[in-house]
Order: sequence, then structure tokens, then C-alpha cells
Amino acid sequence: MAAMEKSWPAEKPRDESGLLERALLQHQVEQFLYDEAALLDARKYREWLDVLVPDIHYWMPIRRTVTRNDIELEFTKHGDMAFFDDDRDLLDMRVKKLEASSAWAEDPPSRSRHFVSNVRIVGVEGDEITLDLCFHLYRTRLNTEVDSWVGRRTDVLRRVDSGFKLARRHIFLDQTVIRSTNMSTLF
Amino acid sequence: MEQDAPSTDAVWDKAAIQALFDPQTGWLDRRVHSDEALYRLEMERIFARSWNFMCHESQILNPGDYFINYIGEDQVICVRDEEGKVNVLLNTCRHRGNALCRAEQGRAKSFVCSYHGWNYALDGRLIGVPGQSSYYHGDLDRSRLGLVKARVDSHLGFYFATLAEDAPSLHDFLGDVGRTGIGMMVAFGEVEAVDGIQKNVIDCNWKIAVDNLFDWYHVAYSHASADTAGFFEIPKILYPNNQMVMLGEYGHAISGPGTPKAEQDKIDGMSNADRMAASRDQPRGTPRLRPHEASEVMGPAGVRSNGHPNIFPNVWVTMQGLQICLRLPRGPSKTELWWFTFVPKGVHPDLRRAMIWQANHVFGPAGLLEQDDGENWSQSTRAARGFSSRKLGAALKMGLGHDNVTTEDNGQRYIETRINEHGQRWLYRSWTEWMAANDWSELSAAHSPIPAGVV
Repeated sequence: MAAMEKSWPAEKPRDESGLLERALLQHQVEQFLYDEAALLDARKYREWLDVLVPDIHYWMPIRRTVTRNDIELEFTKHGDMAFFDDDRDLLDMRVKKLEASSAWAEDPPSRSRHFVSNVRIVGVEGDEITLDLCFHLYRTRLNTEVDSWVGRRTDVLRRVDSGFKLARRHIFLDQTVIRSTNMSTLF
Repeated sequence: MEQDAPSTDAVWDKAAIQALFDPQTGWLDRRVHSDEALYRLEMERIFARSWNFMCHESQILNPGDYFINYIGEDQVICVRDEEGKVNVLLNTCRHRGNALCRAEQGRAKSFVCSYHGWNYALDGRLIGVPGQSSYYHGDLDRSRLGLVKARVDSHLGFYFATLAEDAPSLHDFLGDVGRTGIGMMVAFGEVEAVDGIQKNVIDCNWKIAVDNLFDWYHVAYSHASADTAGFFEIPKILYPNNQMVMLGEYGHAISGPGTPKAEQDKIDGMSNADRMAASRDQPRGTPRLRPHEASEVMGPAGVRSNGHPNIFPNVWVTMQGLQICLRLPRGPSKTELWWFTFVPKGVHPDLRRAMIWQANHVFGPAGLLEQDDGENWSQSTRAARGFSSRKLGAALKMGLGHDNVTTEDNGQRYIETRINEHGQRWLYRSWTEWMAANDWSELSAAHSPIPAGVV
């Protein structure tokens, strides 16, 4: 896992001259994230697919409880086992599955609420902006099922004419044994 | 030294246990999925008695490598010691019972208790006690306070452990069907574990998760949306009229698609290279043709099976041996699912990638098939708590009395038929035998032999 931690305190004083530009970018990426989350919560999955680039990578490695000595084993590496390791085709299939009349895991449909916070812009390179953020996905199902998934995400947004598209989502969950019957909801 | 606590949780008597499943009619008393006392007895008579899957040798390659697993609800440390031997140790300090190891896996030089600092070697010996000469006045006998060690043995690189001193050898416990099931995992050559075990919790009784693995009836309906999505073409992987069942002693069984004999004869005439070529570009999920050598570990009948072995009680071998799923009991209505994945050593990187892709997307909590299983199991378990619902029992009647057992020249027995519930009936029949027996000698004497004739 590539560490995306920003050093703090900053090594040099912040460049006050670009503050407005940075604030504007911060506002734009947050608005994108809120709109994208709203699509999922409203079950508008096909519209959600439209905000993904064709070469998206959507990945959730497996996390493990390990000692500090073995902390490099905490997350599985890309190419080994994961909960999600999806390209665009696979995400298209997940959406087709959600739309199917026999998608039992989501019928009756789950009620979900996607929260994002602590959004930090950690890299701007060409037309891509790398974000590091916290999320909370709250889901209830049937009458009594409650799932609460909290974690950290690194998203890459790509600038397009209409604004941004999601180019990468790497999800680092704060659970090792998943306390849920399934993960039929998109993160 | 000191006495252990009373050694049985038996509340149910033998006749009552035997009445919980009727193999003549396929009627199952649904209290087996909800009753607290039965669950406690399962910990004693099923899990503490049987051989339990621990890990694959590649998961703990070097001295000090450890992996945490369970025997029932008893947590155990599977660790390779300095001599290279694999030990399975109860993860509970002999002083006050604290868990010595809190990680899921890792490397250790020894296991030190975080409570008072008792220190255990990788083979379980108690090698250090703070204050031994001062506070204990030098009179603590460390030699009698090592960690409890399970009996350990392996088959084809897969390690098992038992806490029962009177259990038969692993070889005899597995029998032909259990060994064939493990053989399925090395049918394409020696394997190694892929890093990462998906773990999640489902609010279901562990046996519902187990009986579902024999259930090829639910696939077309429960998993229809995976077909609609274009993930799997279910009609191409189901083979509803080419099903093969192998029932083994002590509850092991294999059930699912089988290659008809005439077709296998054709495969037998092909070179390994031709078999590999024929397996390429098949629809996703289609069984790959096994190489010649597979017959050695699976036998002439077993090698025709592309079904699902279950090593009794809870080890599901799936996707032609690519994965194992453990169903670990966590109370009468809670089960942890652990997905292990294995790929042949030295396999071409493209094939390795394809196998891991399949393992990542079929099963596990986000898997395109498995997503839809959990609520079937949790809602069946929940309903088994309702007084009037559970009185109805469950009906495992499919194919009962319609099929014949065939015996191969080498003694392997199998049933060839259409979709059926033989595996589920065998599971619950064997379960009542394990639960009714007071010890291994009684179980050895009283368990059902592999059926012959009409089933």
C-alpha cells in the first residue's frame, strides 16, 4: 500500500498566494464526492457508472490483525486476495446484477448512507487529483440488520470536460473479520 | 495434578439425538439449527473429537511462522518450531487462561502472555515464569504447565489437528472420500496458498452453511442474478443431469457435476497438453480437464467429480480445489466463513491471475454468487427459533430411494444421478451418529458404512 500521509507540520510555510485556488479545488472535489455518494444512496447505479472512467481500478484489500512487528502484513498486496478487485467490466456486471429481478441480496433493497470526510488533496499530477479521505458507509437491511463500515479511501479523480470522473478507488476498511452477511453495497 | 472440569455437556440423551433426523424419510428436526444445548454438545462431540483443518504448509513455511485457527470455539496457534515441526497449541495460558497470541498470523520467537509474562516456546514448553524463584519459592513445576498440544498430521500438504487422544489416524479419519476431496486441491500439481483469507460472519447455524455446499438445486434460482449480469452462464456449469455423489465414512461426501464415464475415457486418451488446450477459452466456471496424474490422488471415480467435497464437519473444497471455505461455529446462530485460496506452484502468471480473479469474484462477502447465499441461511436459522415453524421440520427428500450406488474396481463408491439431496441427508445422518456416540470407540463401531445398493 502506497503511503499517502502528508508530513506535518509542513516542511515549509504554506504558499498563501495559491490559497483561493486550492480552496476552490477542495470545494470542487468535495462536491463531486457528495454527488457521487448521493447517486449510490439513491440507488442510481447506472448513473453512478457514468462517473467512472473506463480504466477504473476499484480495490479493497483484506486487512488483518497483526502485531507491530508484522505490520507490513496488515493489508494484502495487489494481485493477491482481496474483497474487491474490480475493473470497469466487473463493476458493470455488479450493476447489472443489482438491476436483475433476482438480485436477492438487495431485494428488499438495502438502505445506505455514504459519508465522506477529512478529504485531503494529496497529489495533483497532470489531469489527475489524488485524494485521501475517511468514509462511513452505514447500511440497514430487512428489519433489524445494521452494517457500519468505516475506513480510509484513496480516490483518484480525473478531469474531464464535465468536471471529474473517478479513476481509482482503493478502500482500506477498519475491519478484519467482516461483521456482515455480505457486501452487496457499493463503497 | 488438579482435576479438569466435568467432561460432558450432554443434556440430550441418545434416543432423542437419533430422532432428530430420519434417513428413511429425509425429515430433519429444525432444532438442530437452533438449540443451545445441542450446540454445546457439538463443541464436545463433533469439533473436539474430529480432525480439524488448520492451514496449508505454505502458510507457515519458516520456523516461528504461525497462523491462528479454531477447533470449535477453542482458538489454536498453528506454528512451525525451530526443528521445522508444525505444532498446534491451545491459545490459552496455563496460569489464568489469557490468550497468548492476539494476531491472526505472523512470526514469533516464543509466545509471551501479556498478563503476567509467562513465556512459551514454539513447541508449547513453558520456558519462562517471572518470579519463579522468588514469588513461587521455586516450587512451580514448569514441565507440567506447557500449552496443550493437539495431535497434528498432514495430507498432501494440508495440516489437520485433533484434541481427541482416541481419534483414529488422519488417514483413517479421512477415508477414501476425504482423501479424494483433498486430492482435488492438488489435482493440477502441488499448490501454495495465495496471501489473504476473506473472513466474514453470517447469522446462521454452521450446518446450514455446510449443507448448502451439496445443494446444486439452489444454484439456478439463488444465483440467477449472476447469470443475468453475465458473470456465469449457469446452464453451462450446472450439469443438472450429470451429477455424481460420493459418500464417505464419518460424514465426508462429495456432490455435484460429474464427468460421465464415456467422456472420461476420451479424456484419458488425451495428452496433458491437449487437456490444457481444451480447457482454454471455455466459458467462465467450466471445469478444467485434469492431467493424468490427478487419478493418483483422486482415484478412477473421484477424478470424474467436479463437485463439492466436504471434509466433515466443516471443510468445503470448492471450484475444483482452488479454494477451501471453513464454516466456523460461533454459537447456534452465528458462523464465520474463512476463504483460503490455493494455486499450483510455478503456474503461468496469466493462469495464476485468472485463478485469483475467479477466487476474488465468485465467493466471499462481495462475491457475485455468494452475496445471495447469506440471507437464505440466516433467515432459515431465524425461522428455526420459531416454535411453530420449527415443529414443521425440514424436508430433505430429493432423490430418496431413486438411486443406486456403483462400486469401482478399486473399491470407490459413487452415485450417478440428477440433482439430488443425498449429500445433505448423509451430512445429517452422520451428524446424529457423531452426536449420539459417547466416544471414538462408540462412533467407530456405530457409524454408518458407505452405502451400497439403493439409496
